Amino acid sequence: MTGSRDGRRRMGGRRMEGSAGALERWAAILGGTALGYAGARRGSWALAALGGGLFLAGAAGVPLSSPLRQAALPALRREPATTQANVTVAVPADRLFRHWRNVRHLAALFPHLDAVEVLSDTESRWKAHGPGGVPVVWTSRLDKLRENELITWHTLEGADLPHRGTVLFRPAPGGRGTEVSLTLAYHPPGGEGGHAVSRLFGMAPEQQAREALRRLKRIMEVGELPTIDGQPSGRAERSRALPSMQEVTG
Amino acid sequence: MRALCWNGVNDLRVERVPDPTILGPRDAIVKVGLSSVCGSDLHLIGGYVPTMRAGDIIGHEFLGEVVEKGPEVTRLNRGDRVITVSIIGCGKCWHCRHEEFSLCDNSNPQPAFEEMAYGHCTAGIFGYSHAFGGYAGSHAEYIRVPFADTNCFRVPEGVTDEQAVFVSDAVPTGYMAADMGGIKPGDVVAVWGCGGVGQMAMRSASLMGAERVIGIDRFPDRLRAAQMKAGAETLDYSRVDIYDALLAMTGGRGPDVCIDAVGMEADSGASALEDWYDRGKQALRLESDRPAVLRQMIQCCRKGGTLSIVGVYGGFIDKFPMGAAMNKALTFRMGQQHGQRYVKRLFEHIGKGELDPSYLLTHKWALDDAPQGYRMFKEKADDCMRVVFAP
Repeated sequence: MTGSRDGRRRMGGRRMEGSAGALERWAAILGGTALGYAGARRGSWALAALGGGLFLAGAAGVPLSSPLRQAALPALRREPATTQANVTVAVPADRLFRHWRNVRHLAALFPHLDAVEVLSDTESRWKAHGPGGVPVVWTSRLDKLRENELITWHTLEGADLPHRGTVLFRPAPGGRGTEVSLTLAYHPPGGEGGHAVSRLFGMAPEQQAREALRRLKRIMEVGELPTIDGQPSGRAERSRALPSMQEVTG
Repeated sequence: MRALCWNGVNDLRVERVPDPTILGPRDAIVKVGLSSVCGSDLHLIGGYVPTMRAGDIIGHEFLGEVVEKGPEVTRLNRGDRVITVSIIGCGKCWHCRHEEFSLCDNSNPQPAFEEMAYGHCTAGIFGYSHAFGGYAGSHAEYIRVPFADTNCFRVPEGVTDEQAVFVSDAVPTGYMAADMGGIKPGDVVAVWGCGGVGQMAMRSASLMGAERVIGIDRFPDRLRAAQMKAGAETLDYSRVDIYDALLAMTGGRGPDVCIDAVGMEADSGASALEDWYDRGKQALRLESDRPAVLRQMIQCCRKGGTLSIVGVYGGFIDKFPMGAAMNKALTFRMGQQHGQRYVKRLFEHIGKGELDPSYLLTHKWALDDAPQGYRMFKEKADDCMRVVFAP
């Protein structure tokens, strides 16, 4: 357990940690504001103080989630085993259906997926990696296929990550394109549900499903995944401060 | 290259950073010629926007020359003199196709912050925190522009650099504020804030047929410019009661359209109690934005009138007079600018001499002096309206 946690930190790298930290700060600031407001309204100073404290912790970047996580009851850590995400993509359903039907395309949608190998018309072998590069492998079999409407699949015996999946395409009203809905139900041994997925990939199942649909939308609409990776900043190693004006003139 | 980096609250430094490169097939690299400060940068610098990271390059209102382009850029060529709209559209999603570029579904590469805080993510913005995508800004020698065909616009012959640079942001933001007001002949338009955006809103309101335009501020040089350059009547809120003055000027009706060109760091000059209340709550982080202008607009606006909000807000406000707004049947319009919708029209107005934003540029400084430039802009010293850096 400890090993996998360390591994996740290694794998996450700076970017993952940075965004998770900022997310937490943002959550603390907004949550703190809401709590503080509620407290002040009810005349509850304890609530207001808690809100203010949360906000200040967020503003100052005090880490909250790891101590909270350790203190939380085990029951609170359990995550649902079924997750659904929805997105509207401004392209017709047949294009989306064809894209999804070519399972090789799917490797680009899931952050931890390395490759999808086609075994037959209905079966494919999926290779992902968990923390520290631990391989996670499963074979997937198509169940139902309704042209331009629906694809369902499930994993075969021996999967490292047993699950069922459904993707639905239906026309969005008013020429807005297609509503895509992705449902993933995880059945890991031991019945830990979504928590096992979080542990395997360092990312909650609903986040994964939402990210997959976001990538699908961006690939289909824009043809690329917008990025800032590789742009300049003052954080780059070869950047250094120029002498300030005072140093130059004074 | 050299770039102005945000390193913490009120800590700006010009640093050496790597040159930008093409990262996507629709990217272009623009060599920055002019890059302006903007009032909304002050919210970042002051630490009111929580997703800034040390080392971020700021700046989002700029003009320059295309020096490199990706293989899928078709409408631009190397050597083109262009302005770039500060809010990035992908050009393909439903919102971009409906000219709502600042609501672009796809241009923000880091949508998680906004999805959690706002329920949905909006467009990426240059140099405007990681909540809005974390794109490197324009106070630099070069900048990478994603989806260049959608976001870069060639500057027509006869329009000067000093006029064109503000078509990035200040002019379309002010123009959109007036546009959202749905101005009809005979309308009286009041604009809170006589900065660059406010003055552009005033001029635009006149162009759209407003009968009278009233600008509200407290800095004498800005009030003077609003009068002389933007053609507005002015009110100094540190000297007069704004409600009384506006009602006196409108036969007791109140302005038909009220425009907020101030945003979350408003102060409430006349009411010391209200000002202390909001500053206190903001300092304790119990509200993130100070809504003095909004409250005053709701109070002053004609029954059934329109509030158009382009001043920037980030989080929560407190003591919002919803009862007055509801019972007076006010219409609220707001948003970050959809600049791409307006650029062509704005260059036409400038070309015909109906609009000349170049007077906003009161100081042209070297990029190396940018930290001092922001200090002057923040303190509104030396009658500074806008400092523009020329890298």
